[in-house]
Amino acid sequence: MPRLHVDRLRSGDGSEDEYRVVERTGLAAWDATTALTVVGRPYPRVEGAEKVTGRACYAGDVRLAGLLHARVLRSPLPHARIRRIDTAAAEALPGVHAVLGTHSAPAIRWYPDGLLFDRTLRFVGDEVAAVAAESEETAADALRLVAVEYEPLPFVVGLEAALRPEAPPVREGGNLVGPPKVYARGDAEAALREAPVVIDETYTTQTALHNCLEPHGCTATWDGERLTLWDSTQSVFDVRERVAETLGLPEHRVRVIKHHMGGGFGSKQIAWKHAVIAALLARRAGRPVRLMLDREAENLAAGNRNATRQRVRLGATRDGTLTAISARIEQDTGAYLVGGEGSNTSAIYQTLYRCPNVTTEQVGVYTNTGPAVAFRAPGHVEGAFALESAMDELARALDMDPLALRLRNYAEADQRRGRPYTTPDGLRLCYERAAAEFGWRRDRRPSGQGSRRRGIGMAAHDWGGSGYPPGYAWVKLNGDGSAEVVTGTQDIGTGTRTGLTQIAAEELGLPLERVLLHLGDTATGVYAPVSAGSATQATIGPAVRAAAAEARRQLLEAAATMLEAAPADLQLREGTIRVAGAPDRALDVADVTRRIAPHMIQGHGARGPNPDGKAVRTFGAQCVEVEVDVDTGEVSVLRVVASHECGRIVNPTLVDSQVLGAVTQGVGFALMEERVVDAGGVVLNANLEEYKVPTAPDVPAVVHARVDRPDPEANATGAKGIGEPPLVPTAPAIANAVFDAVGVRIRHTPLSRRRLLAALAAHRPEPA
Amino acid sequence: MRPFAYASPRTADEIIALLTPGSAGADGASRPLAGGTDLLTLMKADVATPSRLVDIKRAGLPKGIEETPPGLVVGGLTTLAQIETHPAVRARYPALAEATAVAATAQLRNVATVAGNLLQRPRCWYFRNPRIACWLKGGDHCPARDGENQLHAILGGGPCHAVHPSDVAPALVALDADARLRGPGGERTVPVEGLFAAPEGGRRRETLVGSDELLLALRLPPADGSRSTYLKSMDRKVWAFALAGVAARLRLDGRRVAEARIVLGGVAPVPWRAHEAERALEGAEAGPAAWDRAANAALTGAAPLRHNAYKLPLARALVRRALESLAT
Ligand SMILES: Cc1cc2nc3c(=O)[nH]c(=O)nc-3n(C[C@H](O)[C@H](O)[C@H](O)COP(=O)(O)OP(=O)(O)OC[C@H]3O[C@@H](n4cnc5c(N)ncnc54)[C@H](O)[C@@H]3O)c2cc1C
Ligand code: SF4
Repeated sequence: MPRLHVDRLRSGDGSEDEYRVVERTGLAAWDATTALTVVGRPYPRVEGAEKVTGRACYAGDVRLAGLLHARVLRSPLPHARIRRIDTAAAEALPGVHAVLGTHSAPAIRWYPDGLLFDRTLRFVGDEVAAVAAESEETAADALRLVAVEYEPLPFVVGLEAALRPEAPPVREGGNLVGPPKVYARGDAEAALREAPVVIDETYTTQTALHNCLEPHGCTATWDGERLTLWDSTQSVFDVRERVAETLGLPEHRVRVIKHHMGGGFGSKQIAWKHAVIAALLARRAGRPVRLMLDREAENLAAGNRNATRQRVRLGATRDGTLTAISARIEQDTGAYLVGGEGSNTSAIYQTLYRCPNVTTEQVGVYTNTGPAVAFRAPGHVEGAFALESAMDELARALDMDPLALRLRNYAEADQRRGRPYTTPDGLRLCYERAAAEFGWRRDRRPSGQGSRRRGIGMAAHDWGGSGYPPGYAWVKLNGDGSAEVVTGTQDIGTGTRTGLTQIAAEELGLPLERVLLHLGDTATGVYAPVSAGSATQATIGPAVRAAAAEARRQLLEAAATMLEAAPADLQLREGTIRVAGAPDRALDVADVTRRIAPHMIQGHGARGPNPDGKAVRTFGAQCVEVEVDVDTGEVSVLRVVASHECGRIVNPTLVDSQVLGAVTQGVGFALMEERVVDAGGVVLNANLEEYKVPTAPDVPAVVHARVDRPDPEANATGAKGIGEPPLVPTAPAIANAVFDAVGVRIRHTPLSRRRLLAALAAHRPEPA
Repeated sequence: MRPFAYASPRTADEIIALLTPGSAGADGASRPLAGGTDLLTLMKADVATPSRLVDIKRAGLPKGIEETPPGLVVGGLTTLAQIETHPAVRARYPALAEATAVAATAQLRNVATVAGNLLQRPRCWYFRNPRIACWLKGGDHCPARDGENQLHAILGGGPCHAVHPSDVAPALVALDADARLRGPGGERTVPVEGLFAAPEGGRRRETLVGSDELLLALRLPPADGSRSTYLKSMDRKVWAFALAGVAARLRLDGRRVAEARIVLGGVAPVPWRAHEAERALEGAEAGPAAWDRAANAALTGAAPLRHNAYKLPLARALVRRALESLAT
């Protein structure tokens, strides 16, 4: 049975052909009728006790003998050239062991057009020099002793300013990242001309900061020519590849470890400069180096969600059938392309509703501010705010219920490729569950008495989260009947360890406690891709299942001999192997493994292909109720009902946690979070005091109206992703509810008090 | 943070000696350290660069709340948490209890002292950013004036437009509290209101308390049938400085307002005593008409900057609401 499929993806010039290797597993998918005992249960996180007792070791917690602490000097100017840099005084400071800067660092290429330490600096926070010293304080003192002469260059801050013809160029060639990305099906312009009802509005979304609890950073140590990095990353293999390549090391001499993660949200899905800087400092100093970003650096130079300006036009017939969707999107890329910005704001316009005429045009714009990077459902969050606000406006214009309007334009296939969804009724189920749980109704009652007005709103979304090959896992059975799973993925705080352990335990027929999963280590793990795109469970889950199935097959073969039965007649549950129909003929798994020890049963597993000719997607809808205080502009989100179709729910507690966390971030995005940059290019709120994230009292009661329905066509476990999706609809649902409450449409996030009070004042002139 | 020396004297006299330029052992750049929640963050941001911190917590200075019927004395070292939970404060001086309860966070209130709260520096995000020079830090202009001034003053601004950040100060001013100070020349007592003055000319600070003076205690006069409250508006539910705050105190004589105090926070470089509003109230009949008049009068002379006009309706609404709540 040929299991390895090697496809030629694209032909280059001879040696540059690209191949994709996909292993087929032949496993029958767990579908809705499969009786599962471990999968589907709300186990607490397997690493929970470690975390709450403070024993979990994060990248910055690694304590090595002789550890040095590094700090980075950052550009005070938004655009400048380094004329001269003198680090002599810093190097002479007692306790300083290594200093790096443009003058002394190797010329390592970084970004498409720069160096690790470049003479040209393009934002306040750009890396100028780095110091490793006995303590962080000494390193900070040393940075003050670095003398730099800057030649200030003209700069530009903000999307609109950067688009002006006379705007100073962030780099040669102007401020457009490239030609606009254009998508078209049908003829949206013609359809708009003919549409009886047209919505034509411009929406903006702000630059939002990830503010992971654990900042970016790593601890680096050399052992001869072998480098080990404990990095706070969503992708140990990508970091290994990048670090090996930039330092000219073979990959097997670079080991990247990530055991626990205090949040990444996309900002850690690429290799950042700090990993290479720490490695270089450690080599120079001959001692291990810890380089963790402080909160300011985190908020200046470790990525952000790009601000957008979106002109949206919707055309519809009077019965609410969409005839045209057109979006022109500009987004603030910041100073550099970091390789993981990937905000495809256009996508949701192309897929969420059935519509024959769709045009999207998206352009990235350089500005002299910190670079953008993926942030939980990048692009979709921004796009959904505009599209789902516009849909609400359309519903109002048509005097139609917003839910009815959405159902009228229901899409059952991915219209970009003409492929039906594996769950064509997925979104419909979400609408039904959310509406039923919320008590959604057409609501046109006068919006309350006095200054406190209530309103309801809703929004929908789709997203990927299908997972994809390749991705691998191993399973080993020990002599005592315990099992270990090894994979090279990482648990970025979402509960990957637990979800994958459940998959392995289920397939192995073992209780959860008898299975331990190892991940986050390139030296011991097999390849797994970046933990991003809500893909990890759906990518590695099937690989783990395949590995466990292979181990199970071997185990049953061994047991068959001992029980004098055919392997096919054996049942394996809760650690016991029984002969079907003969309950007294049974063995514990440990009885088998002990008797064959020291032979070790090993299973290898791979992620199989996604289905041919069909599109695997996730969907969701949220309904919210808000109370708006029209005197003070305060918006209180009273309740959110969230319903999301993510296939099989492997662990309800973990999925609920993702929903709760995402809605929380959605409340922040909707109401308070916004990076503020002064005209001089300095970020004024690169801290957790002035950059407001939601606090516990800001977070509403969140009801997760679960849609727990396996998607067996998606993969062998039937589970899809949930990490990002629940963030997507929260902000537009809140904005729509605010409109419902006070009759004022805010087309700009966040809906701060300042914006709301200004809009209310304009709407209803104040009595003098 | 830059290196600094540390002293922890056992008497007030020793503290003051260390703070007084020219006296033995002093070097002119010592600062008293109470809870450190403001001072240390300023040092980390390189805004304050004292050569020595003089810890004032071991010198037996007044700490805690002493009932001196019919009034109350609050030691300068009293934490906000102690004030917020004190039964007499809650019963007789609700404005103070409410203001402390909505300041900062529970963790901070456990260490933040009331003296430190009154003497905290502005939160202006230009001022606190080490990358930016500004007038209050000794520079030659105010970047907030034409910059990102959404959080800045609408009243009494210029040359500095930062707002006084304290929630506690407006409450103490509304309650007619006095402050007892001690310096090299002995003790003096001034109204809390008199501790503050908008920075100007060569005095680039918001307080008239000398750098060699200690704020020992606050004395609250008898409540005398007054009712008081503090309302605060923030960018989120908790843990934020006031976009606007109002401390209001009313003494009613039947349906007439016998005495009124309206003090705004978060809108001016000092806790802003709204004299015009008080005048509009005193002698007036309690009711919506008076509250509206007072709310409008409170903002007399307001001059919003480009991004903070929203604070006008906000402050008005808070004044109206505060008065309504006191009269029902
Ligand atoms: C994150 C955060 C949020 C906050 N939010 C709020 C808020 O919402 N509302 C609010 O009102 N405040 C808020 N604060 C301010 C907080 O209340 C003050 O930082 C605190 O009260 C200061 O007290 P401290 O004892 O820590 O003072 P310190 O930091 O020790 O001192 C502050 C200043 O006062 C001087 N000083 C202290 N005691 C004396 C004394 N007895 N005599 C003379 N000088 C003295 C010090 O030298 C220093 O200059 C917040 C602070 C933080 C950090
Ligand atoms: S408002 Fe005051 S503190 Fe802020 S920048 Fe201007 S002068 Fe400096």
